[in-house]
Amino acid sequence: MDFTSLVFYLFSAILVVAGLRVVTARNPVHSALALVLAFFTGACLWMLLEAEFLAITLVLVYVGAVMVLFLFVVMMLDINIEEMRRGFWDYLPLAALVAVLMAIEMITVLAGERFGLAPPSPKPADYSNTRELGLLIYTDYVYAFELAAVILLVAIVAAIALTLRRRPGRKSVDPAEQVKVRRADRVRLVSLKPQKAEAREEEA
Amino acid sequence: MPDLLPALPEIFVLTLACAVLLVEAYTKNGYWSYALTQLTLLGAAVLTVFTTSADTVYAFNGLFVDDLMGDVLKLMTYLAAIVSVVYSRTYLTDRGMFRGEYFALLLFAVLGMMVMISAAHFLSLYLGLELLSLSLYAMVALQRDSKVATEAAMKYFVLGALASGLLLYGMSLIYGLTGSLHLAEVAATVDFRNQTVLAFGLVFLLAGLGFKLGAAPFHMWVPDIYHGAPTAVTLFLGSVPKLAAFAFVMRLLVDGLHPAVGDWQQMLAVMAVVSLVVGNLAAIVQTNIKRMLAYSTIAHMGFLLLGVLSGSYAGYSAAMFYVVTYVLMSLGAFGMVVYLSRGGFEAERVDDFRGLNATHPWLAAVMAMMMLSMAGLPPFLGFYAKLTVLQALVGAGWLWLAVVAVLMSLIGAYYYLRVVKVMYFDAPHAEPLVPATAAGDVRALLSLNGAAVLLLGILPQPLITLCAYAIQASFR
Amino acid sequence: MIGLSHYLALGAVLFAISVFGIFLNRKNVIVLLMAIELMLLAVNINFVAFSHFLGDAAGQVFVFFILTVAAAESAIGLAILVALFRSMRTINVDDLDQLKG
Repeated sequence: MDFTSLVFYLFSAILVVAGLRVVTARNPVHSALALVLAFFTGACLWMLLEAEFLAITLVLVYVGAVMVLFLFVVMMLDINIEEMRRGFWDYLPLAALVAVLMAIEMITVLAGERFGLAPPSPKPADYSNTRELGLLIYTDYVYAFELAAVILLVAIVAAIALTLRRRPGRKSVDPAEQVKVRRADRVRLVSLKPQKAEAREEEA
Repeated sequence: MPDLLPALPEIFVLTLACAVLLVEAYTKNGYWSYALTQLTLLGAAVLTVFTTSADTVYAFNGLFVDDLMGDVLKLMTYLAAIVSVVYSRTYLTDRGMFRGEYFALLLFAVLGMMVMISAAHFLSLYLGLELLSLSLYAMVALQRDSKVATEAAMKYFVLGALASGLLLYGMSLIYGLTGSLHLAEVAATVDFRNQTVLAFGLVFLLAGLGFKLGAAPFHMWVPDIYHGAPTAVTLFLGSVPKLAAFAFVMRLLVDGLHPAVGDWQQMLAVMAVVSLVVGNLAAIVQTNIKRMLAYSTIAHMGFLLLGVLSGSYAGYSAAMFYVVTYVLMSLGAFGMVVYLSRGGFEAERVDDFRGLNATHPWLAAVMAMMMLSMAGLPPFLGFYAKLTVLQALVGAGWLWLAVVAVLMSLIGAYYYLRVVKVMYFDAPHAEPLVPATAAGDVRALLSLNGAAVLLLGILPQPLITLCAYAIQASFR
Repeated sequence: MIGLSHYLALGAVLFAISVFGIFLNRKNVIVLLMAIELMLLAVNINFVAFSHFLGDAAGQVFVFFILTVAAAESAIGLAILVALFRSMRTINVDDLDQLKG
């Protein structure tokens, strides 16, 4: 067994175990952490496939941003884990059976070199995966690139529209308002006529 | 420099959708966004008409295609979006949703549909679909203090994301098989030595497609989402995206995978039959009119698939005619539900329509026309839509499917006629359904919608010819 | 020697695990979302493997866009989840029973 195969089998095993932990962990935080491990291992496998740029993107975007968002939400919401787990194991035999059958069927169909593709010759030493993808994304796929930007904009609009709440009784400080304040807004000088002592006594 | 001209309507809609966001930020007044949205859609229609040609033009390195079918479907999309926005104005105002976000998301959804309609590449199909879906999830959840709306949005989101996953898995297998993501190249290189893998990929593609279309057996989300979403959003998502969904099916299966027509015909036949049976039978027992119309949508999607699966030009143009007809009818039907819902009251039970004829004979007549047309009774438009599909189906030799479709339509007629019966023969409610401040333009447009269903039903030939011509020009 | 079919088999196993997770966690929306992310990882492994063995970078470009869209998608999904939690105080799917029919 050569080194590449060893790395592949090791990482695949880690990936499968991490995947199983994601869906069976008792605590959603553990699920999220297992998913981080799964993405990280997936990125390592992509390195073997000479997709370096995507491997780094997967770590940066997924592990760095998306999973942190997941962890944030898991911890923000006060989830009753015990209640959620009731009846969890009832589905297990059926679900496991379906999943195992599905995996076996899919592997039977897909494995066995049906695609007739031989491993490509190694790329030259000065080949840059990032450069190639960059050239493609900004030329041939510029339409898709713009659309991806629109999708991100929609996500921003939607996330803000769904979760932003302006509480009426908030006491936060707005520096702009403070800077804009003029003397006239705060102090009112009133000129009062001097009053005589007798007059005051009469009033009293 | 890529040739931007064919994509001019898309660029226009995108620019003005961003403008709507800015206008909302500065004015905080929904009416500006509302007016700008209508203006955007009208402007896009003008641009589409001016950039249209009978030739098929590719742009952006073959990711984008501008053909006649696309132009016709885009024009219908703008029209339907304009109508749905007018119908939902009062409803949105009453519920505090008459804000820029709603209109911006609606325009982004329209943009997503336009991208789907003009896609010539797996990537543009996928991105258009996601742009549409993400905007719709957010629109359903926009009434965020409503429990049913957020619950519906969650269900829609989970099932929609799952469907995207299935669709992508199928796309990845087709990519591996053909080595290309361009639909035209896929069609040229589909490899028949690998029949198993091809069929396997198709199963995933069609499962994802079935979810997005709302065809049985992937229809579970449709009634819940139609019911739970704010009715104005139901009106939009139940009508306009069907045009893009039809284009999606045509691009994927006819542009891309036509060599595998034998495989997908079989799978579509199963989906169509199950949709017709489930949709029509389940609709009978519904008491909520939104759920009833949801099940009727499933049945209509079955009919649409019947047209596509006949695999001939006649079938495709029949399916296109059917989807245009369906959009007109569902706009009218959901529009009426929105029109009759006021303040905190939702006119969503069939019972709420009781005796509508006694209080508002004209509204009852329009609603009755929609119901009769959906049931497929002559002389309404729905009759010709069903007839052309059945003709194409018989012409392609699928007699048994045509028989099933006719039987199921007869069963389906029952629940549409029940609404008519409730409106005309039952005693009205004590309190009148429509308050005095009914908006005049909405009323006029509803009447126009009803007139269209009737007049196009009496003279269906121009629309049928247009669809046939568009299909011929695009799929030569 | 590691060939294309090894990667496809790995993708298939991950896909099956994610379907398994969707079955198993029908009650817990947040783990459901994670299972869907796992499904997208399976799809991406397929695409990257095909792209490598076909010698065609288009597959990698597709994965780049899938990653972008998935990030946007999870942002919206989690926003809906937060809105749902605020109105229902639960994310247990069993409690989502306003819509029945």
